[in-house]
Amino acid sequence: MIAISGSDLGHFVPEVILLAAAVAAMFVHLFVKKGGRRGAGYVALAGIGAAGLALGLTPPSADALFGGHLTADSFALFFKAAVLAAGALAIVLAFRFFDVERSEPGEVYCLALLSMVGMMAAVSATDIVTTYVSFELFAIPSYVLAGIFKKERRSSEAGIKYFFLGTLSSAVMLLGMALVFGLTGATAYAVAGPALAGANGLAALVAMSLFFVGLFFKAAFVPFHMWAPDVYEGAPTPLVIFLSTAPKAAVIAVLVRAMTVLFGGYTAEGSYILQAVALATMFWGNLAALTQKSVKRMLAYSSIAQAGYLAIGLAAWGESARMAVPFYVAVYVVMNAAAFGLILLVDGGGRFDESVDGLRGLVRRAPVAAASILVVLLSLVGIPPTAGFMGKYFLFAAAVDRGLVLLAAAGALNSAISLFYYFRIGKAMFLEEADGPAPGAVHASPAAQASDRPAKRAAGVSRLVTVVLVLSAAVLLLFGLLPSLLASLAASARL
Amino acid sequence: MNILGVPILTFLVFFPVAGMVVILFLPGSRTKAIKLAANIFTGLEFGATLLLLTRFDAASGDMQLVERLPWIKAIRAQYLLGVDGISLLLVLLTSLLTFIATLSSWQAVQKRLKEYYVFMLLLETSMIGVFLALDMLLFYVFWEVVLVPMYFLIGIWGGERRLYAAIKFFLYSLFGSVAMLVGILVLRSQHQTFDLTAMVAAGSVIPAALQGWVFLAFFLGFAIKVPMVPFHTWLPDAHVEAPTAGSVLLAGVLLKMGAYGFLRFSLPLLPEAARRYAPVLVVLALVAIVYGALVSLMQKDMKKLIAYSSVSHMGFVILGLFVLTPMAAKGAVLQMVNHGISTGALFLVVGVLYERRHTRLISEFGGLSSRMPVYAAVFLVMTMSSIGLPGLNGFIGEFMILMGTFPVSWLWTAVAATGIVLGAGYMLWLYQRVMFGKLSTPANESLKDLTFRELATFLPLVVLAFWIGIFPKPFLAVIDKPVEKIIRIVNPAHFEAPR
Repeated sequence: MIAISGSDLGHFVPEVILLAAAVAAMFVHLFVKKGGRRGAGYVALAGIGAAGLALGLTPPSADALFGGHLTADSFALFFKAAVLAAGALAIVLAFRFFDVERSEPGEVYCLALLSMVGMMAAVSATDIVTTYVSFELFAIPSYVLAGIFKKERRSSEAGIKYFFLGTLSSAVMLLGMALVFGLTGATAYAVAGPALAGANGLAALVAMSLFFVGLFFKAAFVPFHMWAPDVYEGAPTPLVIFLSTAPKAAVIAVLVRAMTVLFGGYTAEGSYILQAVALATMFWGNLAALTQKSVKRMLAYSSIAQAGYLAIGLAAWGESARMAVPFYVAVYVVMNAAAFGLILLVDGGGRFDESVDGLRGLVRRAPVAAASILVVLLSLVGIPPTAGFMGKYFLFAAAVDRGLVLLAAAGALNSAISLFYYFRIGKAMFLEEADGPAPGAVHASPAAQASDRPAKRAAGVSRLVTVVLVLSAAVLLLFGLLPSLLASLAASARL
Repeated sequence: MNILGVPILTFLVFFPVAGMVVILFLPGSRTKAIKLAANIFTGLEFGATLLLLTRFDAASGDMQLVERLPWIKAIRAQYLLGVDGISLLLVLLTSLLTFIATLSSWQAVQKRLKEYYVFMLLLETSMIGVFLALDMLLFYVFWEVVLVPMYFLIGIWGGERRLYAAIKFFLYSLFGSVAMLVGILVLRSQHQTFDLTAMVAAGSVIPAALQGWVFLAFFLGFAIKVPMVPFHTWLPDAHVEAPTAGSVLLAGVLLKMGAYGFLRFSLPLLPEAARRYAPVLVVLALVAIVYGALVSLMQKDMKKLIAYSSVSHMGFVILGLFVLTPMAAKGAVLQMVNHGISTGALFLVVGVLYERRHTRLISEFGGLSSRMPVYAAVFLVMTMSSIGLPGLNGFIGEFMILMGTFPVSWLWTAVAATGIVLGAGYMLWLYQRVMFGKLSTPANESLKDLTFRELATFLPLVVLAFWIGIFPKPFLAVIDKPVEKIIRIVNPAHFEAPR
């Protein structure tokens, strides 16, 4: 039977710490009368910090742990770090959001941590049952997170949509898993993989397709992305930061593991599927983003398109992509969090302006923040000397190395298309002047208008968000100028 | 050779960045200090490029003063800089024009000074980097960075339709660049290196069919930059809306980047494709020469006229490069410098009037020579230089191009020569309408002649126009070997055939 030794748990200290922090955050939120909610946030941040530290100390091991259910190889550790970074960024930015909204649902922190534990387990999972269970662990709290503002229609709608489509995708994935089990009688990737390679090809392909479709849903790959713009637009911004970064990192890792180990006998077919998905995702994401008026919805499509670039790396999986995909995942987390973070920068009288007008003339009011946002935008487009360029370069080079020159060309073309909408933000910040009344005031709630806060305060620029933006920009520039720093880490991420 | 302990080429690339940092830390209210700092830094940069001359060996056609450091180990990209005669002239041109453009902005730019000069210096760093980088990825990085400051220079300090012109410039250029990036990716997968000199040394390892595709990818990148017909439509918009200094650098340096790219990459790395497609490019160049000149004749706006004349002049450069003879190619390189001097100066000439009258319509002027005699003289010299009057720089370059083209095809030569005739037409007509005749518009009565500062911006350009026109030997001496080396790779038949 399955032999579990205590030492196996030693590889999962970060998850244990996060679980403990989740429980602690819940208790702080429930029982500390004054400031308990924010206290829960601090507990969560401390938990993530401690988990990150523990992660750094965890030695990578390619062994099959917990009877072949989990592994803690360097590949898993890298993606866990990405999940932790995404969680930390989202929580820090959430402080700002809740301050302005003047309501702070403290359970957010506990739920986010639980969800992260699920993602980290999924990244490590080497068995279809464990994969499914960890996916549910990360998915269920995230449905609640999307709809956390129960009184707000947009948020509730986002939660319901996310729940229904998420459950549907889980069911599809489960069907694929059931086929795998039916064909091979095994659940562990390492056992089922070789068995599948020798099994009935058509059935195995159906199993792979169903499994992949489930994952594509969760990573918001086109054509399984329909939920994403609505959910990202409706959910509270810091939770969008969380939902658009951490799960994507985790799903990419699961995809790689499934593609190479479980369906290792069908890599050619898998590559075709991923090529199609990459093309559809990039073009649809970028073209749809072009037509958006709301910055938030535009960024939602942008984050879909960005995942499309990652799909190029998955389709071209090989020696070059092995480094390129983890590299871009790390860069994506920072870029995307910072991009959504810019919505939280300016608070126009108790409300965040989600149209591009709110950013007009920002360089006059907040030159440092504007310059940082510019770097983030350049990185998202893929203009050097930013990490976004290097990441895209590595992905495209991986495609060319596998002979997929046209796929690389499509990626490059998309990066040029994306300039147009990303630089609507750049244009507003730098080229346009903020004239007339602050546009944020128009959308302000009556309560905020009634309060006689001075006008200057009303268009306040958050110091916290500025710091996050500056740090993100610094990281993106550093890894853009000296990509070797991150590339060597990414290259060491081995399955 | 080191400056302040930094190898000279690295110093040249990053010295403007030091200027950026200094300006960033100056308080925004100290406008004079900001302007002064910007001028000092661009001036010192020009001085440093002159220092380069002392260590440059014109007798060698190889890359000199090479600096090589590992950059991205995983893909074997290097921090690799080097200079040969072609880069040398273009770096000198860049640093001179940037200095002049900075000096010319003293009065012209009044708002958001700090950002203006920061973007100016960033632009200088990236332009110099483009001409010195020998690693293709590094080249691409500088090539792309150029777009960002230029976008802001047009978009913030430009004219009425600046927002439209800025994004049009950025988008057009970026579409070209990403095509080039795909070309670089394929080259790198074939050669397993980004090192340009190593790629050239390796010879043609790329199958001819693939060369064609890579050539096309590079063509898109460079042709949009030059710009070649039919990719030129961004140029009139960008030029008309850009502030004077932006136009000077756009015409003087940015357009050269495209021609430089053809010469540095397309010709030696893809020789078979270059030979095969050369006639196509020549025809496009001839179309540009004639079409650009004809459209210039029709313009009412002085800046737009000069913008279209750039299309025509850059057509000459491309013609010179793609007839694949050493004489024409040398003429093309010299013509790149000449165009930088004369068109840069002509944009400054227009800028002088725009600063005084806030209009660039030709019909608003007339008879200015009586009010502004010094200005009239400068304008005349630059008009003649642009036309190609013997004794001035434009003549030498155009003549060499035509001379190099004639043995290949008399028809091409004849068509190109009509471009010169038309050029004389639109430039002289412009000069006549603006400077001669009666002073009909009352607002022009009180126009002041050039100030000392304005004269200082023109003086080096006027001197250079005469110098190259009368004694071009030192300029031709530095480009002789490197250009011949490239043409030898792409068109060896020319050297074998009996003369």
